[in-house]
Amino acid sequence: MDRIGVQHIVYQIILVTVVAIVVGTAASLAAIGFVEAVHYLNDRLLISPYARVLAEDRPGLVAAATLIVPAAGGLIVGLMVHFLVREKRGLAPPDAILAAQTSGPAPGFRSGVASSLAALVSLGSGASVGQYGPLVYLGAMFGNLAGRLRLNLRHQRSIAIACGVAAAISTAFNAPIAGLVFAHEVILRHYSLRAFAPVTVAAATGYIIANVIFNRPALFLVSFDRVEHSYEFVFFALEGVLCAGLAWVFMLLLRFSTNIARRHIAVLWVRPAIAGLMVGLVALWIPEVLGIGQETLRFATIEGAFGIGELGLIIVAKLVLTALCVGFGFVGGVFSPALLIGILFGAFYGLMLPYLAPVPLSGLEVYAICGMMALASSVIGAPLTTILIVFELTRSYDLTIAAMVAVVFANLISYRVIGRSLFDLQLRERGFDLSLGRDKAILETHRIGDYLSTNVTAVSERDTVGDVRQRLVDDHRSEAMVLNRDGKLLGVVRLQGIVNSHADTPVLETAIQSFTIFDEDTSVWQSMEMLRGFLGEAVPLVDRRGRLKGVVPEEAVIRAYLEIVHDLREEENEAA
Amino acid sequence: MKRRSLAIRALMIIGLLALSALLQAQGQSERPEVLTVVTWGGAYEDSQRRAYFEPFTEATGIEIETVQYDGGVKVLREHLASGDIEWDVIDMIQSDASTACDEGLLEPIDPQILAPAPDGTPPPEDFMEGAIHRCFITQIVFSTVIAFDNRAFPGVKPDSVEDFFDLEAFPGKRALRKSPTGLLEWALLSLAVPREQLYDLLSTRRGLELASGRLDDIREAIIWWTRGDEPVELLTSGQAAMATGYNGRFFHARAMEGAPISVIWDGQLIGFNSWTILRGTDQADLAAEFIAFATRAENMAAQANLISYGPARKSAQRRVGLHTDTGVPMRPYMPTAPSHMESAVVRDHHWYSQTDGLREQWFREWLER
Repeated sequence: MDRIGVQHIVYQIILVTVVAIVVGTAASLAAIGFVEAVHYLNDRLLISPYARVLAEDRPGLVAAATLIVPAAGGLIVGLMVHFLVREKRGLAPPDAILAAQTSGPAPGFRSGVASSLAALVSLGSGASVGQYGPLVYLGAMFGNLAGRLRLNLRHQRSIAIACGVAAAISTAFNAPIAGLVFAHEVILRHYSLRAFAPVTVAAATGYIIANVIFNRPALFLVSFDRVEHSYEFVFFALEGVLCAGLAWVFMLLLRFSTNIARRHIAVLWVRPAIAGLMVGLVALWIPEVLGIGQETLRFATIEGAFGIGELGLIIVAKLVLTALCVGFGFVGGVFSPALLIGILFGAFYGLMLPYLAPVPLSGLEVYAICGMMALASSVIGAPLTTILIVFELTRSYDLTIAAMVAVVFANLISYRVIGRSLFDLQLRERGFDLSLGRDKAILETHRIGDYLSTNVTAVSERDTVGDVRQRLVDDHRSEAMVLNRDGKLLGVVRLQGIVNSHADTPVLETAIQSFTIFDEDTSVWQSMEMLRGFLGEAVPLVDRRGRLKGVVPEEAVIRAYLEIVHDLREEENEAA
Repeated sequence: MKRRSLAIRALMIIGLLALSALLQAQGQSERPEVLTVVTWGGAYEDSQRRAYFEPFTEATGIEIETVQYDGGVKVLREHLASGDIEWDVIDMIQSDASTACDEGLLEPIDPQILAPAPDGTPPPEDFMEGAIHRCFITQIVFSTVIAFDNRAFPGVKPDSVEDFFDLEAFPGKRALRKSPTGLLEWALLSLAVPREQLYDLLSTRRGLELASGRLDDIREAIIWWTRGDEPVELLTSGQAAMATGYNGRFFHARAMEGAPISVIWDGQLIGFNSWTILRGTDQADLAAEFIAFATRAENMAAQANLISYGPARKSAQRRVGLHTDTGVPMRPYMPTAPSHMESAVVRDHHWYSQTDGLREQWFREWLER
């Protein structure tokens, strides 16, 4: 390798590492700040059990806060999203996925900040939404900012976004390997050495900041010895299947709630307030529905903390209210609620099991953790990540293998019933179908207009067949575009169609009226679809007023496809 | 005649004024002879007597009289309500001091009274964080620990909070303080709840119920104690196999008296004791003078060399060495020794001071069940 080549590689390595550390640090600090701010608001607004018990001598105040805070929070969130976020919705992991998967424009920084603040208000005021979605978007936002810098790095944006997300997850869960895998599994959706190194650096940075510098507590600590009976793996598998079913119910409820909001509440910014009021009303009766529910999560692993009936009630309430909050426009994720509902369902299953199969079992914890991970993996479509979270938090092989069985069976079912994840469903509703792989998503974001050629034989509607025939011979083409005086495309004339026509015949009479046509918005993917059965040299491309801008030769469509796919393969397979 | 009587009157007035001024001057030069300090008795009070009370008397001529106390704020309220205020300085647990301060039961303390460290470090930098408060000066770090009678377990020894609740593996009576202090934390710790989440979980009805259920498991084996020296007596007399109590008392019993007592540091509950001045005492200045004296680094270290409670200022911590009488190295017996801190629970004083009523109610209901 020559000296310039070596210098270039050293430059790339240093710069990629710096980007990973800077983005990782920013995402990690933002994640810590976000979580701390949520706790602060929860305490100040009497949402956290700790704050509520300190005010127990003022029960009226606690009850009033329970009702008013989520509703008022909803109103603030509605107004923030409506007036400050350009997209008029909370930004979430699907936006991060799209930004990393495609080269299309990502949501702006202002929208990102406003959306994150709206998420902060949502979580701070006790809405039943999750914190990991906003944290993932925060990480992606910093990655996107780094992606805009002119650093001459290949695939800079997608890698920087993955770095931010990895650091955020690593910080949030104290689980750097899970953060690394999540960024690949959910955001990049492929594994490559080029992305692997910087994303690892970012995940490790997040872990160091959270664990070493700030000494953040782990999400949960479970002491579990071992799975005592081999037949229990059948129960874990069955639990996974049931969790897939629950995930499906969750998705249905989410869709139902979104549709209700769209159909019946016209004013966008009022919707979250209504959901908040519902949360407050239910919380007067079942306080566990408020907020992220970290205490409830912890109780679910302790034998004797819940009765079966109580668990059933809280599961239903949490499912319905989370669907309501997300569907009605509170800004927040579904990962935390999925973890919570999953662990409660796991505990429920663990308590029910002795009645269904009266055999010795290994205790409640393992079933609770299996349920948590099986449901969460089905919802977010990240089986490897969830397995690794269990391993990194508990360092227990037995618990991890049990969770792995449940997660695998849950995903086997949910992949077929729901699809890869809720994020994919949300993206599909916005017109981006990632189920056919990245190729389609990226081809959808490239305009075929970028391959436009202006080497075209354009003729007037008043020309005769003889004139056109001569022009085509002179231009060495077999097709001509017939335009009116304003340049509007009226038809296409093919040489073989006018060979035997009389020379004086007006050309418009011989023009083909129904032909394939591209416009300015036609994507490369659409152009390929439209070329099915196409016979001809090139496809005309018109502007919004129907005026001819040029043509896209068939060869250019194929070239566009090959170039984009080649670039993709390079990104996925290239070494660092 | 009239002129003579006027002269006599004038002389009488001058005489009275002179007498009054003399008496006043005499009164000013006389200092009170006794300062009343409310404290905890036993080996702890003995260590205070040797480290603070006697040196203070020697330096000022003022005697220290002590009144024994078992903690809480209720006794302060009652003492003040009696109208006859006899207490001056009170040695209080920090959460009680915080509650009493909020209720206006304590005099404010001017932090200017505190002496700098011997190397000149100003008190705010030398004292541990949060030690200097409007109404109290935190002086020691103590811990409430579980200890056991070595004779009760000749084979496998208990070594965790979970073992305290395991009557099957470690049979015998359990001595517990008759107060909702520490019980809740240990009950949840024995269920493997991480110490970081204890107070969050105990802030819920579910958490309290869970603790109640866990205490039910040992209800029949409980012996209650109220005075700090009782757990040692219960263990040494063989009445209890395991007991909760203050680490310094257990240290004293073992190191000084050779009692067969071992401490389980798992789940030790770290607490802080603070000097306070009772509202309404007519010796507030003298009380402040005593607190200034007792919180000098050399005096705090002197106490730590008599009983294993950690001083609340760094300059005093550096001076902790061998036990004054036995020559036993004191640092390994301090609750703040690094190996002991690994599983320590630092008592949440804010939570404690705000949940007094709730805890009392819970405890009463649990006892009545």
